[in-house]
Order: sequence, then structure tokens, then C-alpha cells
Amino acid sequence: MTAAAARLGRDRAVPALLLAPAAIVAVAVLVVPFWLMAWTALTDLSYADPDRSGRFVGIANFARLATDDVFGASLLRTTAFAVAATALELVAGFGLALLLVHAVQRRRWLLTALLVPMMLAPVAVGLMWRLLLQGDFGVVTWMLRASGLLARDAAIFSNASLVMPVLVAIDVWQWTPFVTLILLAALLGLPRAPFEAATMDGAGPWRRFVDVTLPLLRPVLALVVLLRLIDAFKEFDKVWILTGGGPGDASELLSLYAYRVSFQRWDLGYGAAVAVAIYGAVLVLCTVLHRLARSR
Amino acid sequence: MRVAEWWPRAPRRAGVVAALLCVFQVPQVLAWTLEEAAKPYAGTTLRTIGEALPPLEAMKALAPAFTKRTGIKVEIEMYEHSEAVNKVMLDLNGKRRRYDFILQPHRELGKFVANGHLTPIDGFMNDPKLRDPAFVPEQALYPALWKEISWYGGKPYGFPFTALTMYAWYRADLLADPKEQAGFRAKYGRALAPARNWQEYRDLAEWFHRPDKGLYGTALQGKRHEALWYEWLNFLYSFGGDVLKVSSGSQCGPVIVNSPAAVESLDYYRSLLKFAPPDSLNYFWDDVMALMQQGRVFELIMWNDSTYAVSEDRKASTVAGRMAFDMLPAGKGGKVGQVEGWSYLIPAAAKNREAAWLFVQWMMEYRQQLAQHLGGGASARPDVYAAPEVRKLPYSKASMQTNEVARPKATLPQSGEMTDILVRELSAALAGEKTSKAALDRAAKDIGTLLGKCAPLEYPVQ
Repeated sequence: MTAAAARLGRDRAVPALLLAPAAIVAVAVLVVPFWLMAWTALTDLSYADPDRSGRFVGIANFARLATDDVFGASLLRTTAFAVAATALELVAGFGLALLLVHAVQRRRWLLTALLVPMMLAPVAVGLMWRLLLQGDFGVVTWMLRASGLLARDAAIFSNASLVMPVLVAIDVWQWTPFVTLILLAALLGLPRAPFEAATMDGAGPWRRFVDVTLPLLRPVLALVVLLRLIDAFKEFDKVWILTGGGPGDASELLSLYAYRVSFQRWDLGYGAAVAVAIYGAVLVLCTVLHRLARSR
Repeated sequence: MRVAEWWPRAPRRAGVVAALLCVFQVPQVLAWTLEEAAKPYAGTTLRTIGEALPPLEAMKALAPAFTKRTGIKVEIEMYEHSEAVNKVMLDLNGKRRRYDFILQPHRELGKFVANGHLTPIDGFMNDPKLRDPAFVPEQALYPALWKEISWYGGKPYGFPFTALTMYAWYRADLLADPKEQAGFRAKYGRALAPARNWQEYRDLAEWFHRPDKGLYGTALQGKRHEALWYEWLNFLYSFGGDVLKVSSGSQCGPVIVNSPAAVESLDYYRSLLKFAPPDSLNYFWDDVMALMQQGRVFELIMWNDSTYAVSEDRKASTVAGRMAFDMLPAGKGGKVGQVEGWSYLIPAAAKNREAAWLFVQWMMEYRQQLAQHLGGGASARPDVYAAPEVRKLPYSKASMQTNEVARPKATLPQSGEMTDILVRELSAALAGEKTSKAALDRAAKDIGTLLGKCAPLEYPVQ
């Protein structure tokens, strides 16, 4: 072996060695559990029924999904929740970022304050809003009733038509700062030349926003939408604590249904199929958004 | 006259046997000591898990006395209801063998037994080295409760940790108020008194429902949560309905959860919403207990292990000393009550089964049971309810009477899924998404499909 070949080998081995621990951890905590889940979805495993000890059943669990009306309704509800929450967060977050872009140097405290909801654990957010919106002594409930926005004999989490809009609003409250933070960073990093050129061409603020700012931000916007959609699609903690999926099925999101099937009914094969379906839905969303972001 | 002449032959034989038993048993009773039995296990640490409630805290307070006598330590993990159940399920199926004994609700029993996760306790009971001859569970416990809570398929798997029942709670001070009495008599034409039937229960809720003054007639546990199912079972049984047509929790049988009686019970239950707080569809046991402690509810149906915190604990409750308790009002199904017990169970794969048995057996002794009961527990020993300090508690009578008319509930391996189906449908009915009949028809259909051939629908669904 020549000295050059030995050096080349060393050059390749060092990065591989340095990357190996991270790669092993990634495989152990991401790839292996996913494949185990995917395999379980092809079995009849149940901790409740000893006759169902993990026999291979092919796509039977997925066929069952197609006829499960509770799953179908949850899928639609989850999609509506994720799309509504993401759209509102994008609009509100972008608006806030545009407001802050000129003030950020002088008002860093404002940015810090805005980030507080995002830094709270979802369980803490759920408990906090549970108290604030509690039907008998919740401060927000009292304010809504005092202002006439809520009837005296109504309560938000006991009303099937109010519960989803309020859950969306809580998600918007918690995650708009995340959108603001990313878009603010992107806005501050935009090159000045295209804006100067547009101004010299006579473009006003609106045309500069539509024709320069938005196209330049498109990759970042796509990324933000993607991250928020994925996260909203997997929403569990807050809803579980606030409503438990009720009243009735009014707030039964897919992740709650997957939890119920897997850890209350212990129907692990079918529960894994629901989880794989969530993964599939997120994958489809990601692919569509990725294509949209790349298309001109 | 010789004894043999006046003693008839058959009783004579029985007497001889009894005498022999006495000769051999009495020394055994005298000889058996916990200290001696525990010697081989001294230094062992037992680990257990249960729901973070006063009965478990009382057990934790008692455990050091056991350690002092035996050298066996006891470590207790406390979790919220669902988490305590889920952790055990994962531990047993994952074969981690973390727990030497477990405290679990009896509806889980079928799942554990069917999967071979539990040790039947008859082996310990027949072992003279481990069995305290002074403890005779057949005599010491309510027999029906013990069988309901800790037996499955004709075999004992443990002893009741708590014999939980639900009964009616009232504000005694409001019932005794002369102004209220006069007003009630003027409107309803009868004396103001605890409800004897469900019509009277609703009348009382209606009379005391004054939301503008911060008082609600009743409170319901209407959240999509197990609490809803537990609460409705009281109404179902009392109206003469049931989920399955069986005589014990471990049996499978025809589905009758959509019978006319069941539909009537759900219609009635929904009718109480008018006299309950507006957020009732988001309340479970913690919420209604808090409302009662704040003096904002006149009557409700609630668990016996929550009673102490409302009725006696003056630091926590504004209505302590002003409460009264009674069995559920009578319906077509008579005076009944639903019982839910948590059991001491010993996993088949536990590392220290014998030491665990010794602790469980010790906890079932009268002294420990009395102390645990007074600390907020719910004993399955009738002699505990006969103790003067227990008799003084205003809820003892209601608790004891309900224990005696306990109705079985399904403990089949599929009971978790049955509960989940019912909670979903009950919640939909309360939310007005479905009629009572439509909700129970759907529940019957899903439960029938789940249980298969052994559970045909007695009331076919169109």
C-alpha cells in the first residue's frame, strides 16, 4: 500500500469513526423502533387477548383501518386541526416577525417574552389552560362570560362545537412565537440588493413584499409550515389533558386514538397500524410541501 | 354413663375429628409467628405500585412496622390511576419483574390471569410455613366482595386492597334548614329528606339548583374518562340493567347493555345535566370532589375513598361535618351499588413472592386494616366497620350497606376495551351527539363484535 492510499484510508476512517456514535444512536432510537412498529402493525399482537400472541396477519390491520369509522373521523379532524393551526400560526407569526424586524435591535426583551409559551412543556400548557378555562372558576371563562362572548350556562370544554376552535387557538398561542422566531431570523438575513433594485424600479412596499420578500422566504416558509404541520398532526399532550378526546368524539385526534387502542385496549397490532397511518399521512404532507417549495 | 353411650355415632366421629384438629391446630396457631416465617427473607426489599390515594399513603405509613418485625423493606411507587395500570401492564408483558406485588383494579384481573401473569394464592394459603393460621379470609372478609374483587375463574388471586363503592352524598345542613324544608314541602308536597327513589333524587337536585347563588343541584362526572363509566354503572344497575347477562365478572354472556332499562337509565342520567355545573362534560372524580369540598353542590354520587377528604378533613373541606351519606336511591333493580376493588396481586414472575405474601397477609390483619381504613382506606373486613371509631364516621353505614349489595362487573380480558367503548358512547350521548338508544346500540354492537360468539346481542341492533 502506498503512503497516499494509507492517508486516504485514514482520511475516510476518521470522519466515519466520529460519526459512528451518532449514527448508532440514531439507528437505535429511530430506525429500530420504527421497524419494530411497522412489523407489529403486520401482526395480531394483543396484551389483552392471550390467543393473539403476535401472529403475522399481513395487511389485515390496515384493511381494518379502512372500515373503522372512528379512525376515519379522527383522521379528518386531525387534518383540519393541523391545517387550521398551521395556517393561523403562519399568518400571525409572519405578521409579528414583520413588526419586529425593525424593532428587534432595541426590543430584545419583547422577543424573549414572546418565546415563553413555546418553552413551556405541553403538559404544563394543558394544565394551565385547563385552569384558565375551567367552567366554574376559570379566569378566562369568567372574562368571556362577563363580556357576553360566552353564555352563563355554557362551558368551553363541555361544548362539542367550541372545543376544537379553542384547541386550535391554544396551539396558535403556544406555537406562533416559533414561527415568528424563524421568520424573523430569515427576514434579518435577506440580502439588501434585491430590495434596493425593486425600489429603484418604483416598487412600493406591497410589491416589494409580494415580489421580493415572499419569493426569497419561500424555502423558509415551506420549512416552517412543514415543521408545524408535522407537530400539529402529532398533537397529544395538551388535548389529552384538556378534553381526553371529548365531549363525545369532538376532539378525538389520531394520536389520542392510537394511544387509546395501544395502551387502554392493549390491541398493539392495530395500534401500531394507526401509528403507521399517522406516519404515512405526515409523509404525504411532507412530500407535497417539498414539491410545492421546489416548484416555481 | 360413659360418653360413648350418650354421644351419637356420627357427631361422635365429627367431634373426634374436631378434637384432633384442635390438638394439632392450636399449637400451630400458637407456634406460627411472622418473625419466624419471615426469617429466610430478612434483608429483602419488596417493591410495589399503586394509585396515589390515601389508602396507599396509609399503607406506606404502616410498612415500617412490618420492616421492624421482619427485616423486609417495602418500597412503594405511587402513580395516577391510568399510569399505575399501564406501568404494571408493560412490566408484566415486558417481563421486567420490577414488582414483587402489585395493586390493581379488579377489572384488570382477567387480562392478567389469561396471560399467566399472576400466582394464585392458594399455594401460599396451603403452606404452613407462610400461612398465618389466625387469618381465615373466608371468615374475615366479606365473602362476595373478596370473590368479586380478587377471584377469577373460581380461583383466588389476592385480597382486596380497597373495597371501593359509590353511594349518595348529601348536604345534611341544607336538608335540616327549616326554610328549605318549608319551601320544599310547598312545592313538592312532601318532607325534605334524602331520596328514596330516582324521582326524589331529581326533585332534590332541581330544588337546590341555584347557579346564580353558586349552588348546583348535583354534579356529574361527564368527562370522556373511566369516571363516566363508573358513575353511570350505578344508574344502570339501579334501573335494572347490566352490560352482560352473567352471574360473575369472569363470565362471558349475552350483551344487554342496550336493553330498555339501560336506555332508560342513560336518559335519566342525561336529564340530571340540567341541574349540574355547565362544565360537567369536562369533570371527573377530582373535579366533583373539589366542588363538593367548596360547598357548591347539594348532592352527588361518589366514591367511598374520597369521603374522608370531604366529610372529615376540615383543612381541605368547607363542608366537613355537614355531610350525610346513604345508599343509592332504589330503582327497578332494587337497592344496589357498583363496587370496584383494588387487589393485592402477586405476579407469577415476581422475585420475592413469599416475602410479598407475608406482607400482604400482614396488611390484611385487623389492626392494619383498621389503621388503613381510618387513614382513608376502604376495608373489605366487616369487623373493621364494627369498630367504634369507624362506626362514628358518618359514611360507614352507607359504605357497609353498599358492600353487601355489590354487583359484579366484567373482569374479562377484554374488559378494558369494553370500558373504552362504553365511555366513548356515553360521552357522545351526554354531548348530545347521539340519543341514548343510538349510543347504547352502538356500544352493544361493538362489545358483541369484541367478545365474539359468547356474547350475542339480546336486543338486536337494526
